[in-house]
Amino acid sequence: MIEAHELTKRYGDKTAVHGISFTVRPGTVTGFLGPNGAGKSTTMRMIVGLDAPTSGRVTVNGKRYAEHRTPLREVGALLEAKAVHPGRSARAHLAVMAATHHISPKRVDDVIELTGLATVANKRVGGFSLGMGQRLGIASALLADPQTLILDEPVNGLDPEGVQWVRTLVRQLAAQGRTVFLSSHLMSEMAQTADQLLVIGKGRIITSGPVQEVIDGVLDSTVRVRSPQATDLAALLRAAGGTITSPEPGALEVRGLSGELIGDTAVAHRIAVHELATQQASLEAAYMALTQDAVEYRSDTTAPEPILTGATR
Amino acid sequence: MTAMTSTPRPATQVAQSVPRVRPLVPARLDFAGVLGAEGRKLFSLRSTWWTLGLTVALLALMAVGQAAAIADSLGSPEGAAAFADVHGAELVTGGYQFGMLTIAVLGALLITNEYSSGMIRSTFAAVPTRLPVLAAKAIALAGVTVVTSVIGFAASYAATLPILREHDQVPSLTDGTTWQIVGGATAFLVAAALFALGVGTLLRSTAASVTVALTVLLLLPGILQFITLDWVQNLVEYLPLPAATAFVTVSDAFGGSGGFTPWQGAAVVAAWALFPMIAAAVALRRRDA
Repeated sequence: MIEAHELTKRYGDKTAVHGISFTVRPGTVTGFLGPNGAGKSTTMRMIVGLDAPTSGRVTVNGKRYAEHRTPLREVGALLEAKAVHPGRSARAHLAVMAATHHISPKRVDDVIELTGLATVANKRVGGFSLGMGQRLGIASALLADPQTLILDEPVNGLDPEGVQWVRTLVRQLAAQGRTVFLSSHLMSEMAQTADQLLVIGKGRIITSGPVQEVIDGVLDSTVRVRSPQATDLAALLRAAGGTITSPEPGALEVRGLSGELIGDTAVAHRIAVHELATQQASLEAAYMALTQDAVEYRSDTTAPEPILTGATR
Repeated sequence: MTAMTSTPRPATQVAQSVPRVRPLVPARLDFAGVLGAEGRKLFSLRSTWWTLGLTVALLALMAVGQAAAIADSLGSPEGAAAFADVHGAELVTGGYQFGMLTIAVLGALLITNEYSSGMIRSTFAAVPTRLPVLAAKAIALAGVTVVTSVIGFAASYAATLPILREHDQVPSLTDGTTWQIVGGATAFLVAAALFALGVGTLLRSTAASVTVALTVLLLLPGILQFITLDWVQNLVEYLPLPAATAFVTVSDAFGGSGGFTPWQGAAVVAAWALFPMIAAAVALRRRDA
């Protein structure tokens, strides 16, 4: 359980996190979604007390993180790949972390095994790929069998097998009743992993709720209808609560009504329909629409299109 | 789109109803654990072994070099007169100014390598109250410095023994001055290490910390001695190395004791170790990691 109340972080005159309040519940995987620079990492660092909030409060399992007597058992955190000295082996790093909490060497071996690091455990971390660094970070987070897991961009740099592994792992941990809070800047990743979503942009929560609810809310699907009696149909659909636009004579674009309902309405009023197609925006497009006002670093989309794109179509 | 920008549901207080997962891994955070972790950190890095090995080598080699040079000059009447009051233990510990450099680098690196690598975030996630980390680092560093000094001075004793014998300068273990000099040199190395650890914690950057530490320890006393103004020379007395000569040396030949008694010198040196550490502790608590 993570509870944030009016959490704010300012660095100089730049506000990274802007009075956000949220609750992350146990037994679920909660996705923290937002563009780069939205405040995800800052928020996560404040949860484990690495950064002090400028104002507001965040607690883990009812207390500030630093007030817990056995911090690593409360929260296991992967805050960035390779928060590790490059000269130490993976095993030595985990042994150092374990030593602070008197965690047994057996447990160190277990998390090495669990995260698939067995073959590289005695190699120095400096030579690790990003993916192996992520696995070590996850091993470190799991070390004390924590109640709550905080993973900042855990699938970054992982190969597809690794991505699948993280998904399965976090689902299992949540099923055991743990709190799992993981961040990503990819909506598609979140749609496959998370139960609950917390969408952040420019340091403010944009929306939150169950993943499907958030996605449905954003997706804004339209139904394209062609009919010789378009005007009559439009009147009926408007009465049913739809928003209608007509891009050309005989064609309608309907928002707010399902394809089924439109088809049934047409049949009931003996209106011929020549085309009925639900057009859904892609998840990424929807996400971009959701966060477009909140993107910190944006590439210039007004640049002229490269000539090649026409040829490759 | 208005639904998207609506305020999120407020945090609710339902903490009591939350079932906890029964932890299967025994875990307990205490200072002994933090100290153990800091010890493991030290010895799991090659750079530690290199630095400590170099310290032992410098302590021994520089002592032999100095002893040989002094023995050589004893042939002339002036040399013999100048070094008549040299204590054998001074010859054994003669390399301490060089050991000071490598030990200070080790002390600074102990914390700056955590900042440069990002390890500090793992460290503070495990020990969020932070101060035990600094205390454990200080104790581990002091311990390793004492052991290294003892080994270094023992090696130095063994290496200089032929020269010491030849000139009847073998320091006696029953002589209080022997203990003052060897113990003083060891304590000075510990102070130099802690001073560098404090500076490293304050500055966080390896380059900046090593530069500042070596400037204060080595460069300033050397440079400022050429500025013969009285007030400058009085200030120089208060730098760590000149202050240390009050208890690490007894003869004029070895820099001689200045205006301080051995205990005054020790107090000045201790202050150099203590104040940066206190400032470091305050900064550590206040700053974001």
